[in-house]
Amino acid sequence: MTQGVLIFAFNNSEIDYVEIAIYAAKRVKQFLNKPVSLVTDSSDCLYTVHRADASVFDKVIETTDGTGQIKKFYDGADTHTNLIWKNSNRANCFELSPYDETLVIDSDFIINSPFLSYCWDQPNEFLIYDQYNDLALWRDTSEFDYINEFSIPFYWATVFFFKKTPTNNHFFTLIEHVKENWSYYAKVYRLPSTRYRNDIAFSIAIHMMNGFTDGTFAAPFANKLSYIIDRDILVEATNNRMVFLVNKQNTTNQYTALSTQSLDVHVMNKKSLLRVIRNV
Amino acid sequence: MSKGHVFLAQNSNVSYVTQAYALALSIKLHNKLHNQTCLITNDSVPDEYRHAFDHILAIPWGDDAKDASWKIENRWKIAHITPFKENLIYDTDMLVLTSNDHWWDYFKNKTICLTSRVNDYKGRPITNDYYRKTFTSNSLPSVYTGIHYFKKSLQGYEFYKWLEVITKNYQDFYDKFLPNAKQKFCSMDVNAALALMFMGTEDEMTSNACPTFTHMKPHIQGWTKATSSWIAQVGVSYSIDNKLKVGNFLQTGVFHYTEDDFLTNNIINTMRY
Repeated sequence: MTQGVLIFAFNNSEIDYVEIAIYAAKRVKQFLNKPVSLVTDSSDCLYTVHRADASVFDKVIETTDGTGQIKKFYDGADTHTNLIWKNSNRANCFELSPYDETLVIDSDFIINSPFLSYCWDQPNEFLIYDQYNDLALWRDTSEFDYINEFSIPFYWATVFFFKKTPTNNHFFTLIEHVKENWSYYAKVYRLPSTRYRNDIAFSIAIHMMNGFTDGTFAAPFANKLSYIIDRDILVEATNNRMVFLVNKQNTTNQYTALSTQSLDVHVMNKKSLLRVIRNV
Repeated sequence: MSKGHVFLAQNSNVSYVTQAYALALSIKLHNKLHNQTCLITNDSVPDEYRHAFDHILAIPWGDDAKDASWKIENRWKIAHITPFKENLIYDTDMLVLTSNDHWWDYFKNKTICLTSRVNDYKGRPITNDYYRKTFTSNSLPSVYTGIHYFKKSLQGYEFYKWLEVITKNYQDFYDKFLPNAKQKFCSMDVNAALALMFMGTEDEMTSNACPTFTHMKPHIQGWTKATSSWIAQVGVSYSIDNKLKVGNFLQTGVFHYTEDDFLTNNIINTMRY
């Protein structure tokens, strides 16, 4: 029985996701002690710019993501850039993962604790987050409860665990189907935007796997997904401690400092994450 | 011991007989053990509807609702005319979407059973009192009569006798016993709550398990902005295999659609054929 972690990294013109993935992989090794494989279209970057760190990965799986979308990337509340965002091939995890039991994490999900190691020692075949913890506390987070308020529960594709079972094979095939017919599903589920999102595709596929009602296909992780959005800023990360500047309510230039200890955090502000990585 | 499903229909600008027909079709479609139906009405019943009703009876003792737009004043008569010993009594604007044959076992030791818990279309229990200020303001037991169980028994008849007295004198009862957030029109839910209160039988005659139903009034669906029509806000599909989805949620159990426009010929014909 092989077990490991899968991280995706698709660079764009300003964000070196491979560098972020290397950092995330080191944290996996430190806290979870599992091999890590990288799925990327930027292996050149890995083997040239980051050659010294390439060995952190157990395997490097070269692939492409042909569905780049333009997305607004904030770096704090008052600065943003429009960049290509390639993030649509999570549906291929089942084929891509070299492991029998895989924890998939976004490269910007920074592990600071051994908490998630429990997923390799529990009976559920598929784990995913449906509960969350916005470190800012004040924001309207209802978009993370349901994909829209009239519709189905929201699940985070940021982190999930799966075993290579026939049921999960069906599930990932279903995600692929949803992706291929995205405009149809966007209409059926009355999505506010037609932009493809892994979270939404996973949510729709989970709902279908549950027979369009409440069901038990997707077991929730035993804690909440903590995150900052890209309007917040990561300013420091040490062994298991992170320090953030979190955007104050109704402002674009004021922040509240807070720190976390032994808490895994989804750091959506990639630019601040890269600054911290480069200073570590 | 006979068991059956009973509905009273009085047409106004809406054909409640047609709604009762759809309800009867849905009961026959999904219930294999106990699917006898009885329609109580003074309106004409089209020949093509009759196959869905095992009994069609006239409303007895005149029409107490002849001047009412929301015709509920004859409901208390159901207990006295139903041909069944044990009854599930429904509002007509409901559909049974999956079998409720198993409910009858639950009712074995009951004489009356009203639900105190209904769900929204996502399956969440409704706690919002938007339509129930009278209940919360006057500490009434929060019960729903949209579907309820009645057994011919002394206690069952006593409950229905209270319903009769309260319905016939509802303004006096509301004035005297409901001083807060006064109910302006006759409501069977309020009347039933008062009857339970007078009988002191709330605990034994209510259940949060069954019967229960999905309640589609728009302001209790957990939406931040609800309009007067839920159909206008959320997608509905009814498939050829008689599966109803609302907002992409497959609906099960008893569905209380509350809006007359919901029931289309397509739904009726799909159930029928």
